[in-house]
Amino acid sequence: MVPPLLQVRGVTRRFAGLVAVNAIDLDVAEGELVSVIGPNGAGKSTLFNLISGLDRPNVGTVHFAGQDVTGLRPERLAALGLARTFQHGRVFGNLSVIDNVLVGAHVRLRCVRPAVPLLGPLIELGLAAWRPAAVRAEEQSLRADAEAILALFGDRLLPRRDQPAYSLSYANRRRLEIARALALHPRLLLMDEPTAGMNESETAEMQVLIGRLKASGQTLLLIEHKLEMVMRLSDRVLAMDDGQRIAEGLPGRVRNDPAVIEAYLGHHALGSAEPVA
Amino acid sequence: MMINQLAFGPWLDYTVNGLIIGNIYALLAVGLALIFGVANLINFAHGSVYTVGAYLGWASITYLHTPLPVTLVIVITGSALLGVAIERVGLRALHGSSRIAPLLATIGISLVLDQLVQLFCSPDPRALASQLPDLRIQIGRGTIGTLDLLIAGVGLVSATGLYGFLRYTKLGWAVRATAQDQDAARQMGVDTDRVNVTVFAIASALGGVSGLLVGMYYNSIDPNMSFDATLKGVVAMMIGGLGNVPGALGGGLLLGLTESYGIALFGSSYRNLFAFALLILILVAAPNGLFGRRRDLPPEPMTGTFIARSRPLRLPRALVAGVVLAAALLPLLPAPYLLQTLTTALLSALLALSLTLVAGTVGQISLGHAALLAIGGYASGLLALDCGLPFVWSVPLAGVITALLGTLLVFPALRMQGHYVSIATLGIGEIVTLVILNWTGLTQGAMGLTGIPAPAIGGIELTSVRSVYWLVLVLVVAIALLQTRLLSGHLGRTWRAIREDEVAARSYGVAANRYKALAFGFGAFGAGVGGAITAHLYSYIDYRTFDTTLSILALTMVILGGLGNVAGAVLGSVLLVSLPELFRAAAEYRMLAYGLVLLVLIRYRPQGLLGTV
Amino acid sequence: MVSRRQFIVMGAAASSAALFRRPTALRAADATITIGVSGPQTGPNAQHGAQWVAAFDLAIEQIAAQGGPHLRYVFEDSQSEPRQSVSIAQKFVNDPDIAIEVGDFSSTASMAASPIYQRGKLVQFGMTNSHPDFTKGGDYMWSSSISQAEEQPNLADFAVNGLGLKKLAVLHLNTDWGNTSKTLFVQAAQALGAEIVAVEGFLPAERDFRSTLVRIRDTNPTGLILEAYYADAAVIARQVHDLGLKQPIAAVSSVYSPKFIELGGDAVNGIYTQSNFFPDDPRPEVQAFVRAFQTRYGRQPDGFNATAYDTFILIGELVRQFGGTREAIRDGLTKIKNVPSVVYGKISFDPDTRRVAGARYERLLVKDSQFTLWDGSRPAI
Repeated sequence: MVPPLLQVRGVTRRFAGLVAVNAIDLDVAEGELVSVIGPNGAGKSTLFNLISGLDRPNVGTVHFAGQDVTGLRPERLAALGLARTFQHGRVFGNLSVIDNVLVGAHVRLRCVRPAVPLLGPLIELGLAAWRPAAVRAEEQSLRADAEAILALFGDRLLPRRDQPAYSLSYANRRRLEIARALALHPRLLLMDEPTAGMNESETAEMQVLIGRLKASGQTLLLIEHKLEMVMRLSDRVLAMDDGQRIAEGLPGRVRNDPAVIEAYLGHHALGSAEPVA
Repeated sequence: MMINQLAFGPWLDYTVNGLIIGNIYALLAVGLALIFGVANLINFAHGSVYTVGAYLGWASITYLHTPLPVTLVIVITGSALLGVAIERVGLRALHGSSRIAPLLATIGISLVLDQLVQLFCSPDPRALASQLPDLRIQIGRGTIGTLDLLIAGVGLVSATGLYGFLRYTKLGWAVRATAQDQDAARQMGVDTDRVNVTVFAIASALGGVSGLLVGMYYNSIDPNMSFDATLKGVVAMMIGGLGNVPGALGGGLLLGLTESYGIALFGSSYRNLFAFALLILILVAAPNGLFGRRRDLPPEPMTGTFIARSRPLRLPRALVAGVVLAAALLPLLPAPYLLQTLTTALLSALLALSLTLVAGTVGQISLGHAALLAIGGYASGLLALDCGLPFVWSVPLAGVITALLGTLLVFPALRMQGHYVSIATLGIGEIVTLVILNWTGLTQGAMGLTGIPAPAIGGIELTSVRSVYWLVLVLVVAIALLQTRLLSGHLGRTWRAIREDEVAARSYGVAANRYKALAFGFGAFGAGVGGAITAHLYSYIDYRTFDTTLSILALTMVILGGLGNVAGAVLGSVLLVSLPELFRAAAEYRMLAYGLVLLVLIRYRPQGLLGTV
Repeated sequence: MVSRRQFIVMGAAASSAALFRRPTALRAADATITIGVSGPQTGPNAQHGAQWVAAFDLAIEQIAAQGGPHLRYVFEDSQSEPRQSVSIAQKFVNDPDIAIEVGDFSSTASMAASPIYQRGKLVQFGMTNSHPDFTKGGDYMWSSSISQAEEQPNLADFAVNGLGLKKLAVLHLNTDWGNTSKTLFVQAAQALGAEIVAVEGFLPAERDFRSTLVRIRDTNPTGLILEAYYADAAVIARQVHDLGLKQPIAAVSSVYSPKFIELGGDAVNGIYTQSNFFPDDPRPEVQAFVRAFQTRYGRQPDGFNATAYDTFILIGELVRQFGGTREAIRDGLTKIKNVPSVVYGKISFDPDTRRVAGARYERLLVKDSQFTLWDGSRPAI
């Protein structure tokens, strides 16, 4: 049997006196779309940080692509093909739209970043200054690819590709964040609330995009509050509350799980105003 | 008893001595910590307030013959008002611009205040006699006096008082809320302007009182006591934990003890080496300070908080080419003084180009960058003097040595963030200077390197101002072009991504340390070459030739030109080297004029003349 | 205000010059000679620039009053930084009015500018530059700075033979000046049979010496030697007092300043020092200088004032005897003999080292907050 692309086992993270993530297991198979839901403060973003290497678990392991990646630095995980977006949007404000996407493609730079130990950085510096044909060609192809990715968002981003990211609207920044992640050509894409702060039509647009990504075979792990979208897109759903897993399985089953309903009703500060219907 | 005293006597004395000087550091650190805690700002003007406080006390005792309680009231009132003025006039307008602008403003304010004190009170040291009865208590074999106890008392009372104020009063609550998140606090109805003014008033009153007491302690005050006070205060605050008021007290005492024991073991030339080594150690091992609580994850930054939104002026190529051409033709005019000044400016530009890359493009604000010039200068000087290498070899080799050594030295700072990088590089810079001073066998120590041969290419000495100017101009243009080229490629966007949001950059596979090191290395090469050429031109350098004031000057040049802006770095250098020359007619008012111009520039153009990139 | 005595002294000096040079001198006196001064007017050493100015103004006035050449000076503030002193050097070299340059204050600033003066064939007169390599910069580098090679053996003799101190601890400013002084002192004292038990260098901005002094105390010296300027030395003396150290202290001549007493208070009583210049010195040139200075400024001059005053008197004399061109002044320096001087008595240069030999020393003791002539009695040890 082929092991799942992402395998999280018994991961626990404690902060001073508080267990943010408690013994979570999670599998994501190649081509799957798995969603993590739960009220605010359930530990979803902490779980993402543990998977993407921004934080280390106190207990438990994370395997990615058949390799133990527990506590690996985020840049190494990115090199292995894991990309993520951030809950509050962390685009590089003073970089142009296209440069933001190109930074996303950083791990795909091969020619200009030869894997030579010790002298690698120096050679990189030399190549960046000299720019031989191969380096120029690589840059050209990445640029073309980046424009193709921007084109996925219709005319939202492409016409603004040379503008600084800080000049974009909020929704466009969230889109740019996803474009940047896609530029990595990730094997697994972690999306932390891609529709947060978006209005209905923007949400619908995002839903179409995620659907298309899934259809193209992209493996996705999604945190989302808008349950209707989660139910429509996900293959499986993990529900969390207070750092614990309270339910897992097919969307329909999780939605009707009494523990999930209880969790959402018990918290007044819901992340989403949408009814669970 | 006798045996006991013999065995422990000196160590008891060293401990007492360490606590006495530590007391003074603590007093300074508490004020700095308070301001940092609220305004997220290292207040470089704090030492100047301390100086002003000392002089206020001196004037009140000398001219009004006030007794101590009245003197204290005058100093507290005067310093608090000064603090209010600094906040109102110097800093408030800068709220919302980049984080670096207020820092630069405090440097400018410090310059202006020091100059004013010097102009009004003469540069000569003044005696400031203690107004306390000098009762001395025997401890160990030495004695401590009433002033020592008063200084300790003021430190302790102010730290606990402030702690209580922050903890239990409504205004204190507002201060803490403002410290957490200025914007959120404002939305919650906190009058943050009032909070900031209050904090500056309290901290400055404390600073002024420190100056008075320390001045009395040494019976000597002078207008130049401010820089050292700021430096040691910042180190003490850092040890206690940035912005941690009670921690600052502990940090000061620990710093004093470390220095005292360091002197006990190795002698007084090593005192500051110990202070800064302790600083680096703390920054690496416990970045939140010894008394700070460990923070698990840095809070998510809002994008673009580091530098202002960039709207750089786009200089037409023809204009840049024209300026370069004009600069190249300039030596045809018979104006050697102008050429000499511009040569100095261009040599500074090599440092500024390096710093604008590191501080502007990559966002690592280095406060010890002049150390790179020192390494380059000494490397080339020693290669020429000891190994007989000709100029054309020793200079590039010095660049390479500086790149390697500089990158190695800055290594501990690579994983640090924000203010920690600035303070760490400040410490590393001081360490370089102190090693040069103390490694007598290699560097001739305090005697400096003499007889460094003049620049020569192919056996022809470049002695005319003209040829040296051309040489440096060619270098500056070459390095500027190379830097521009690197910035336009993948390195440029990678570096800037690290500056904008290091966490996000790393999540996309950018090995931040590697790229920071690359920037430092490239920058250090240019700066090292600059230092090397300077050494050959001066023929003599010593450990004071490239000091911290030069590091701060370089940062001013970079911010003035626009962070990360290559043309801006050169423009900033030319302006900041030429302005003091233009103000020569103003004689002793010259630096005052310079400081005021600087403040006006920061006020109306905080993003730099050509804009940040 | 020029006293009659001063006038006579200057006249006597003039008569010592060969008579046939008189015509040149008269011609030179018609034009104004410009002296370029490079020194600190702002920054950490600004007080020394201010000390210079006071002495320069006094000297110029006196020279003019005696019918000597008209001197004027252009003071360019370098903050004693090499970056600025080199620009100033270029400015002076290219200003045909400048006949001679005086300064800079620190060796760091002076020696960086030396190549420019040497190439520009303008005399750089580093009156405070005691760095042994300063005059090796070229044959246009001259200095009247007290040679530490001369002062330190004198101080050693004072401490070891005069005061009978045989186990010495040396505390020195860690700069080129302090370092040279320390090395020369240690050599001389050891040659006289003294034992050096501790040597401690301190940094320029240092204020706290308690731990350094404990370290010194524990080597059990019988005497303390200070190689420091007056402000630092006063702070050290106070802390010696606080720590209860009873050893006699002998200090280099740079502590000789009214400020030393003001800043040191009671703690400086009992300190031995020496000075090239002492207001109670009966020599007429000293008396004339002190009185004129006091009349004009209402305070006593110190060593820095005296050095600066001597320098302008010397330049006046150079111009008077040899003429006011750059070359004449440089050649004059090699030939001039026995110019009256507050610090030296008489100034003549060794044309090879381009320095002055034969500074005079008075041995002093601070008593009741006054510098007094040492009466030859030894301290109780």
